[in-house]
Formats: sequence, C-alpha cells, structure tokens
Amino acid sequence: MSENSRALKLAEDNQKLANKRKKAKEKWGIVLDTSKCIDCKACTVACKMENYVPVGFYNYRIWVAEDTHYAKYPVISRSFQPSQCQQCENPPCVHVCPTHASYKTADGVVMVDSKKCILCKYCMTACPYDARYESHTTEAIDKCTFCYQRREEGKDPACVETCPPKVRVFGDLNDPNSEVSRLLAYNEYTVLKPEKGTKPKLKYIK
Amino acid sequence: MFLLKTKLNRRKFLAYSGGTLAAGAMATKFSTIKAIASEHGKQSKEPGTKTVPSACAICVNKCSLFADVKDGVIHKLNPNHNFFKSRSMLCARGNVGAKVPYAPDRLKKPLIRTGKRGEGKWKEVSWDEAYDYIVENVIKLIDKYDNRSSIAFASTEGLQEEFFRHLTSVVGSTNSVRHPTLCLASNIQGYSSVYGTLPDADIANAKFVVMAGSNRAEAFITPDTIDLAKNRKEQTFVYLDPRATKSAALADKWFPIKPGTDMAVVLAMINVIISEGLYDKEFVDKYTHGFDQLREHVKKNTPEWAEKESEIPADEIRWMARKFAENAPASVWYPGRRSSFTANDVYYRRSCAILNAIVGAWDRKGGLIPKSGISLKSHEFIFPLYDRVKNRIDGGKVNFAADVLPEYIKSNKGMPKDEVAFLSEADGSWVLFRDAILKQKPYPVKGMFIYKQNPVESVPNRAKTLEMLKSMEFICTIDIQMSDTAWYSDVVLPESTYLERWDPAHSLSGVAPVVIFRQPVIEPLFDTKSMKDITVDLTEKFLQKDAFWVDAWEEDKAYMEDYVKTFKGVPMSHIIEHQLSDYPGAYKMLKEKGCFYKTDKIPYGKTLKEGARLKTKTGKIELASVRYPEAGLYALPVYQKPSQPPEGKYRFVVGRHAQFTQANTQNVPYLLEAYGHYENMLWIHPKSALKQGLNDGDYAIVKSSAGEQKVKVHVTEYTRPDTVFYLHGFGRLSKWLTNVYKVGASDAEILEDYAETISGNALLHETFVEIKKA
Amino acid sequence: MSTNTTTMDFFAKNDKISNIWLILTLLISLFGVYGVFNVLINGHDVYGVTRTVPWGILISTYVFFVVSSTGLCLISSMGHVFGIEKYEVIGKRAVILAILTLLCGFGVIAMELGHPFRMAIYNIISPNFESAIWWMGTLYGVYLVFIIIEFYFLMKHNHKGAFYAGLGGFIAGISAHSNLGAVFGLLEARPFWHGPYLPIYFILSALISGTALIIIIFNISYGRPSNLPEKAKNALTGLSKLFGLFLGIIIFFDIWKIITSVYGAPPEKYESVMALLTGQLSFNFWFFEVMLGMLIPFFIILFTKGRNLTASLIAAISAVIGIFYMRYDLVIAGQLFPMREPAPGAHVQSALQNGMVTYSPSFSEISIVIGALGFCVFLYLLAEKYLNLSE
Repeated sequence: MSENSRALKLAEDNQKLANKRKKAKEKWGIVLDTSKCIDCKACTVACKMENYVPVGFYNYRIWVAEDTHYAKYPVISRSFQPSQCQQCENPPCVHVCPTHASYKTADGVVMVDSKKCILCKYCMTACPYDARYESHTTEAIDKCTFCYQRREEGKDPACVETCPPKVRVFGDLNDPNSEVSRLLAYNEYTVLKPEKGTKPKLKYIK
Repeated sequence: MFLLKTKLNRRKFLAYSGGTLAAGAMATKFSTIKAIASEHGKQSKEPGTKTVPSACAICVNKCSLFADVKDGVIHKLNPNHNFFKSRSMLCARGNVGAKVPYAPDRLKKPLIRTGKRGEGKWKEVSWDEAYDYIVENVIKLIDKYDNRSSIAFASTEGLQEEFFRHLTSVVGSTNSVRHPTLCLASNIQGYSSVYGTLPDADIANAKFVVMAGSNRAEAFITPDTIDLAKNRKEQTFVYLDPRATKSAALADKWFPIKPGTDMAVVLAMINVIISEGLYDKEFVDKYTHGFDQLREHVKKNTPEWAEKESEIPADEIRWMARKFAENAPASVWYPGRRSSFTANDVYYRRSCAILNAIVGAWDRKGGLIPKSGISLKSHEFIFPLYDRVKNRIDGGKVNFAADVLPEYIKSNKGMPKDEVAFLSEADGSWVLFRDAILKQKPYPVKGMFIYKQNPVESVPNRAKTLEMLKSMEFICTIDIQMSDTAWYSDVVLPESTYLERWDPAHSLSGVAPVVIFRQPVIEPLFDTKSMKDITVDLTEKFLQKDAFWVDAWEEDKAYMEDYVKTFKGVPMSHIIEHQLSDYPGAYKMLKEKGCFYKTDKIPYGKTLKEGARLKTKTGKIELASVRYPEAGLYALPVYQKPSQPPEGKYRFVVGRHAQFTQANTQNVPYLLEAYGHYENMLWIHPKSALKQGLNDGDYAIVKSSAGEQKVKVHVTEYTRPDTVFYLHGFGRLSKWLTNVYKVGASDAEILEDYAETISGNALLHETFVEIKKA
Repeated sequence: MSTNTTTMDFFAKNDKISNIWLILTLLISLFGVYGVFNVLINGHDVYGVTRTVPWGILISTYVFFVVSSTGLCLISSMGHVFGIEKYEVIGKRAVILAILTLLCGFGVIAMELGHPFRMAIYNIISPNFESAIWWMGTLYGVYLVFIIIEFYFLMKHNHKGAFYAGLGGFIAGISAHSNLGAVFGLLEARPFWHGPYLPIYFILSALISGTALIIIIFNISYGRPSNLPEKAKNALTGLSKLFGLFLGIIIFFDIWKIITSVYGAPPEKYESVMALLTGQLSFNFWFFEVMLGMLIPFFIILFTKGRNLTASLIAAISAVIGIFYMRYDLVIAGQLFPMREPAPGAHVQSALQNGMVTYSPSFSEISIVIGALGFCVFLYLLAEKYLNLSE
C-alpha cells in the first residue's frame, strides 16, 4: 500500500467516522499557551507523519511562525505562534464550498470530503488563515482535522500529544470540567483575526 | 594509569566490564538465561494494527515511544506517557523516525569499495564476503605492524555501541576513540573535580536559572528543555549567548556575552555572593573544602572587572549574583553540555560548579542533583590480552601535546604541555588522536573501524580528517546511512535501524532514573544486521583463523567461543529479562509500559546524609581541588583572557538546531522543511555585513586557516557584531546524502583543530574567520 | 416553410472572412493544446498558482470570458427584449459570441478545476445553496440554455420566442454575473474584494465589454467601418455613445474604489491597491487597465462623439485588451496580501520582502489562455463565415 493510498484511506475512514459520530455532543477546541513554545516543530512533523501529509515546503496542515518583534541588537526578544486551521464555529470555507465537500462535523470539526472536492480552491481564498492546501495524495483540499481518526480512541491530536512543553491543550469546550474550559475560565485569551467573525476554536492564552 | 602497565602480568586477564551499558551474560549463566521463556522472534507482516513499545535513537535522550504499526508498516511513533523523563513528548526528530527505515538513502547491503577512496564506486556483497574481507585485512595489518593497536576503533554512544567495544576488545586494540572529546569531556572533568560527578539540574523545581551557551531550546535534553519551557512564567531564566537563539525566546534576560568570557561573570558572581555574605555558611562549612582559598582567590574578580571582560553590565552581574543567592537552593548555573568553547573550559566549568556549591544549591530541591541510575545486572566478559598490543597512541606523555593549544594559552601554567592530564581511557582525545596518527607517533595506526560516528563531519578541520583516512590501509564503517566517513571507507556494513532490532535494557541516569529498551517494531526491511550480530559474526570468523590467535592463550580462544555462543544462542529478550532480574515485575513493566522505574520522585540529599562521601579526594565538595595541584594544575579556577578576533576577522561559533542531531539527520526532507531552509546560512550582524559588503541572500566565502566554505548570508540582529555562525552538518561530501551533498557549508571544514590538555576536549570557539563576498 | 429555406436562413457564406484568418486563429488555439496536455500529464503542479494565490490567470481569463458573454447578452437584449429597434440588428452576432465566449470560459475553468467532472455530479447531488460559486455555476448553466434558445429563435426570426428566451437570458445573465461578483464580494477574508462593490462593478464592466465587442465584431463581419450597412452604422454610433458613457461611469467607480482603499490606509485593501498603483501590478494597472482600458477609449469616444466608427473600433479594441488585464489585476490583487504574515516558519508561499506574496502565470497557464482566446476567435470567425448572422 503506497503512502498515497494510505492517505486516501485515512480520508475515507474519517468521513465514515464523522457519519458515525453524527450525534456527538462535544465541541472540540485547542487552548494554546504560546509563551512556552520553543519552535521545535515537533507538532508540524508529527502532523505530517500522522496524516500522511506529503513532503513539500508548502504541503502542511499546521505551522509554527515566529512573531515579529522590535529587534535591534542587543535588545531582542523572540516568541513563536503555533497554529493551524482555527476550526471556526462560523467557517467561511464551509459556507463557500459549492459541493459541501468542506463541512463541519457534529462535534464541530471542519473537514473535507475528498470525494466531493472539485478543487475550485474557493475555500482557500475564503480562509483568512491560509490553513488549506491542495494535496497530491488525496487530490483534494487538505487541512487539519484535529486528527479526527483519533476521536474514537479519545487520544489527543498528534500535535497536542507530541508537544514537548504542551503548548496546546485539546478538549471539549462544552464540558465545563475539561482542562480547556478551565484554562479559558481562569485566563485571558484571544483568537486570531476576531474581526473576521469566524469564531475560532483555537484560543490563545495571553 | 594505563592498562598496559598490567601487561607484564599475563595472568591478570583484562576484564571488560559492561558497566551501565550492560549487555552481557556470563558463560556460567547460559542455562539460566536460556530457561527463561520469552516470545522473542521475528515479527510477521500480519495485517491489522498493533502498538509496540520501544525507544527512540535519533538523539542521545532515548525517549520511550509507542509505535503504531499498520499492516506491517510503521504509521506513527507516539510519545510514551509513562516515560516521565521525556515529559510525554516526542520531538520532531523522534517523530520523523517513522520514516527512517523507509528512507531511500539508507544502506541496504554490505558494500565493498571498487573505485578509488571517495569515488563512490561500490559493489554489493554478501555478509560473508564482507566479513572475509574484513578479517583478512585485520590479520594482515596486525601482522604487518606487529601491533593490534595499529587498528583504531571510533564510535559514538548508543545502546549497541557496547558490542562495538566488544569488537575492539576481540581485535585487541587499545586505540578506541569516542565522542566525548568532541562533546562534554571538559564539562565532566570540571564538575567532577568539584563534586566527583557531573550532576543534572533540577530545572523542574529551580526558581532561578542561568544558562550560558547551552542552547537548550534547540538542542534538546530531556527533561531540562521541556521544564525550562514549561516553567516559562514561574521561573527567572537568564541566558548568556552571543546569539539570540530560540533559548533566548524563553529568557527573562538575554545577554550577548563576549565569547569566551563566561568565567569572568561566574567569578564575579562568586565575588559578590561572598563579599556580600550571601553564601550558605552552614553548607559551606559542612560540605565543602577550600572556601577560604576561594574567598581570597575571587577578591580581584569584581563585577566591574567582569563587565570589562564580558560586556555584561556590572549591575546586572550583581543582580544575577543576588538573585542566585536569594533563590538558593533552587538556583542553577546550568551545567552545560556542549563542546568546549575556549581553552580554559575545564577551569570555567569548575567555576560554575563552585558557584552552585557556595549557595548550597547542591542535592537539594531546585539545585544541582547528582545523577542516579538503576543498576542492571551485568556480567563481565573476559576478553583476551594479547602480546602484540601497544599503549594508546594519545595516552601518557605526548611530546606534541602543546601543538593543539591555541597560542594565547601556551604560557598558561595551569595548562599541561606534554600530555592530556585526565585523558579518558576509553574515549581518548580526538584531536590529539588524529594528530598522532598523522605523525605516526609513537607508532603507525593504519586500520580503522568506525561505528555510528562520522569523524569527517564531526571533528574540527575536515581536511585533516580526510588526510587521516587517506593514510589508512583499511577502513570499515558501520552505519545506517552513507555518512561522509562511510563514503571514504573500504567496507561499509549496513546496520539495522533502531526500529528493526533489539537493544539491551539501559538505565537512563538522571535526577530520576528510568530504564528503557528496544525491540523490533518491524522486521528488518533490508539485508542489515545489528552491531551485536556483526561483532558476534566477526568474532566467529576470527575464531576460524589461527593466524589471529598466535599472540593469545588457548583459554582466550575458549572464552571467545563462549562469547559467541552466548549471543548466538540467547535472544536479546532473555538478556533483558536477566538484566532486570533484580527487580520483580520489572521486565513485565518494561514490555507493557515501555519503561521501568522505581519512582518518578527525585531522591534529594543522598550525598548530604551523615557519613556520605563524594568521589573527590576529600570526599567533600572541593572548591579548591586537591588533585589538580598534584597534576600541576591550578587548584582554583584562574581566569584566562581569551584572544579576540583581529580587525577584519570574526569569531566563528558553532551551534545546534532542533531538527538536527549532530550531522545525522540533515538528509531527512521532513526535517529540512521544519528547519525552514534547504541549506544552512551564515548569521552575520547588519553592521558587519555592511562592512563586508554583504546583503541578505548573498553568498559569502568564509575562510579560516583550516579551510574555506561558500555559504548563503543571513543578515540578522540576532548575533553579536564580532561573531558569526552557521549550522553544523551541511556541505556534505557523501553523494548518498542526496539532500545535503555539497549543499550549504560544512563547519568541520573551517574549524581550526585546537584542544585543551586537561580533558583533551576539542575547542570549537577558537576559530577566527575572514568573510568576503563570493 | 420548407426545410430548405430554413437551412438557407441559418447558413450563409460571408466572404469577408478569409481562410487565412481561420487557419491562423486555429493555429493559435493549437498552442493551448500544449498547456492542456501538460496539465493532464503532470497535474496542476505545472500551474503558477500557489497556496497563497490559488486563483491565477485561468480564473481571471474565465472571468474575462463570462464578463464578455454577459455583456454581449445584456447589450443585445436592448434590441429584441427591450424593443429598442435601432439595436435589433446586433442580436444574432452578439448572442452567438455570447455563447462562444461562455463556452470558452467554461473550457478555461475546466482546466483550472481539479475535478471538472466531479463538479458536474456533486453540483447536482450535493448542492450548497450558500455558495456563490454554486449559484454562479448553476445560473451560468441556465443562462447558457437561454441564450442558445434565444439564438435559435433569432435565427428562426421567431421574435416572440427570442423575446422570452432573451428575457430569460437577461435575468439569468444578470444573476449569474452578479453572483460571479459575489464569488469575490462575499469573501470577508479578502478586504480588497469584500462588499457589494464587485457584483455591481461586474455588471457595469460587462456592459463595457459587450459594447466594445459588438463594435469589433461588426467591423469583422463587414471588413471595415465604411462597409457597414446603414442600420448597423446607426446601431454602432448609438453603441459608441453608450460605450463612452459606460467608460465614464467605470472611471468614476474606479476612482472611488481607489480613494476609499487608499484614504486612511485601511488594512489589506490599502496594500492590495498599492500593489496596483505602485507595486508589482503597476504596469498592468497604469498601462493596460487605465490607459488602454479606460482613458484612451474614453477620450476617443469623447472627442469623436461616437460618430467616427473607425475611432470607435480603435477605442473598442483598446478597451477589450485593457479589460483582459483589468480582470487579471482584480483577481490577482485581491490575493496579494497574504492571510498570514510571512514570518520565519510561517511557510507563506511566494512571499516577497515587502510582506506581500506574488504570482506569475506559468507557461502552461499562458498557453491555455492564448489557446482559449484564439479558439474563441476561431469559432466566431467560423460562425461568421458560415452562419447567416445578418438580418
């Protein structure tokens, strides 16, 4: 079985799983404390491994970007911002998709049904986060799925699980006792591009 | 002090101890081991999904992992959440391990060179052919030079390295050379001279941490790197480095210290702590030796003096000193772990150890903690002691030792000129070792076995290393990929990757020790073998050649037959089970949870208990060393002003990036992507770039007395104007490293090959370079 | 009526169209075969589009084609739908070209889509009524049916039928085309496009394309302006005046679009507009879009009052060239401000030092575009040569 067919199978399995979980009550989200991030890229590589994202500089679902700071030697500070699909509650990519290939699962994960994708790339222009790319393996638009294949086992997404300082915390935003809910309750946080009205489910602790 | 002093007494067998890297089982234990049932055997390519615990081998940390295998193919390597040492993580490199067995560039068959050295013409041969070739050449060399030490053995750490060292002993050479003198030899020496050991730091609980040069955020050490990041908000972290690395991102304060002057800052901090009475008097009285001498010694080392040396403001040094004392014992001057910067490195490390000691931040929560381990059952093999053996080539008095010192330190009385004062018997000193081979002093070394190491890229002055290889009559390299060293070898043996083989259990010593092991996650994909199998096979071959045993005793041969029998007959799982047999349930835990430990709590204060002794001469923390003056060295750390780059030149510093393990993983495309560039780049400050007429993205020639390299220019504010840097491991010579062959620049090519003569460590920040537009 | 006369009505040979032109345009369209084959063999990698600029010259060419089609339909409807007798003469030619440009547009978009056949299926079995592309695609489909029927009735001189089909085409065309504007205008992520401006602007620019193309094709049919029959001359003089008016309006639109995008430097809009004014698209913008597309034709019409048909023809050609670039600039400029800052590690594709991204069409893309344009002209000449497009 080639890497390509494994990628396709994963995409198909995830569609089946989304169907199976039609009554899921959770609302998955990730809370990030970027002050801990050291830009080690464990998350980006783990993502590529877990999801058969092909080699290529611009084939990626998640990324870690360096923040821009005032930097004039010797006054320098550095910080990093890991990110990915914001899994918007109001996802522009889903609105614009002509064939419902981009859709939101019952538990709020934005996914792409690769069989329905016509590769018009409208979702790519609609996404304010540049979170999507054209995949050669699935011949469709590909993006972060919160590692949907791991939902049944209850495992964290690969990026969350592998992170050395645990910058990302994954959990159910609907569950008041979840760690994510607690983090949001006790910390100030922000989202990326709030002005776009996308209501991201990735929350950044200030 | 050298093993050959025992040679006259042939009745004393050279006993080889497995030590902490225990891997053996004594002959008498055969029956016991064999009786223990286990499920060892090749794994079939069965369909379906399985999860297999093992351990990573991409860097030194050996993090425990769980491999997800789907239909016989590794799908993903996941962190082991039971393995507290990694804090439940697997880094980028660890993750990419899933692709290592499938890498197109890996070695798949034994190879024998057919063209000229380095020409890249090979023929694939069977293992038998390769072995015969090796055995023939080894015997030829030993006979020709009448000296088993005419064959050198170079290796680097790993769970199979033990077997390579067995091979060294089977062949009977004294010339083994290992990585520490390209790494932390000076660090071990410096700290050991104070505490009798190199401790770890309790970063998880430390409140004030100063780190100088160790770029933890880009050179992972578990658990320190992760604890530093996790404690980002709770801990005060001061970072000293000429570059604003990613570790600087974690720092509350970053000081671009003038390279080579770290010791001035440490001494000034000691000065402040003592003169302001901030030291832990009770601790100093009870546990240390030589405080009064120290008090006198540092009187002249005021913060104002240190400011002139280091360019760190005196007030900031005072602040650091006061904070350091205030937070003690939860204060740490991070005990490094990197190559020596400058020639005075051992003394510098001593000063760091002393700083921690005077505030009592030793073996207490948040301070320096002596490592502990879990002792595994091991047995000693008895290896033959041959007649035709000579002393280490770099051991004892070496009349050209002073040649490896940088000019400015040659007049320093605390620096040995005719030997390496504390040379490690097993490790040697790479720089000196290579010089000795090239000079053929005191005798010729004309054969070489290299395991897992890549001296062409890892030893400073690449041209010299190539010259050394050229002078060899026989070179055999064992690796998983065609390293540059393998490229210049005569025989290349492909090792199975860490995901395709068994490795013995190993105790990872540290603040809280834990045992890991490896088992095959998949069957070997190609015609490869583990180092264990290679050693056993070769030993078997040697046994068939009488010519090999002419200088050995009959019983030596019998012991070797037993050795072969042990490893041929006993599966590794049995050996592991035996290793752990002191701990009921341990083997089961290892197989199920992927690691074994007794507790994840840190045992503080073992060395502070009544009657406890440190492994120093006085048994105490030696602020003033007792052994050093005996060896003609300074008892207390004396600051040596480093030389500065002359006008128009820059100091070249080395460094790490989180994607690359030494020169090993640069060829992995996923990691190059994560690194963000396909080639390495010269960091240069805008002012210096302007001076040299360079723009971002230009190519420049970087030139030292050792060599020159062409490299892309990266103009950045993140470096001192007098310092330049580019990343290790690019600009490679092996064409089978397809992604980095002649891409970017090699630092080994331009680094000048200096070493210090206390521990024998290479000096990686003593090179000044010219830079001009290409 | 016998079949014979119907055939006679349908077909008529126009000797003004020389075979040389047919062969030449066919050769040009063959050039596009290179790009088509290249993409079929090597996949979409042969395109210059990137992760950051996913829509390239094929999309803008598609827009150019469908803008032309809609414009032709709208202008022609003045005659047989709204009953302005003067313009009835333009009906057949305008509608056949509307059909051909639309088909060529569809051809180009099919090359751009990764899965055109999947689209045909899932557009029907899994429609998303929220999607502007779905509406645009569907309405253009309906529109195509209407204008084909319209053309059939026109050829059959069935005025009533042509009226109803024309009305249907008019409504479908306006809806489809404003939806095309909405494809861009609904994207909140792209401030340069977002808002009600584009749907309106698209209709306006369609009118310009329509008038300009009609002026051009009448001259093609009759060889030169002096050959035009009186009726056609009248119609074209009227159209020239409208052409000038539309140009005036679009200049007015553009001025305010630019002022509102520059004044106070509204984020992202400003950067996109500056890419047009002074940045990577500035030559396209000033030379093609402003000079050829707007100012030259506008002043020609203004000074000749639309009475000099040779001048009008030059103005029209100039405008059509300019409009091609207008579409390109519009599609590209909206994507030049990246959605994420091109910081280290962000892996923002084709980022420039100035924080913007860039796009240049690949050879394959250009070949498809040239091929499609050539093929469209070829088809029209063929129609002109063998169909009875005069009254």
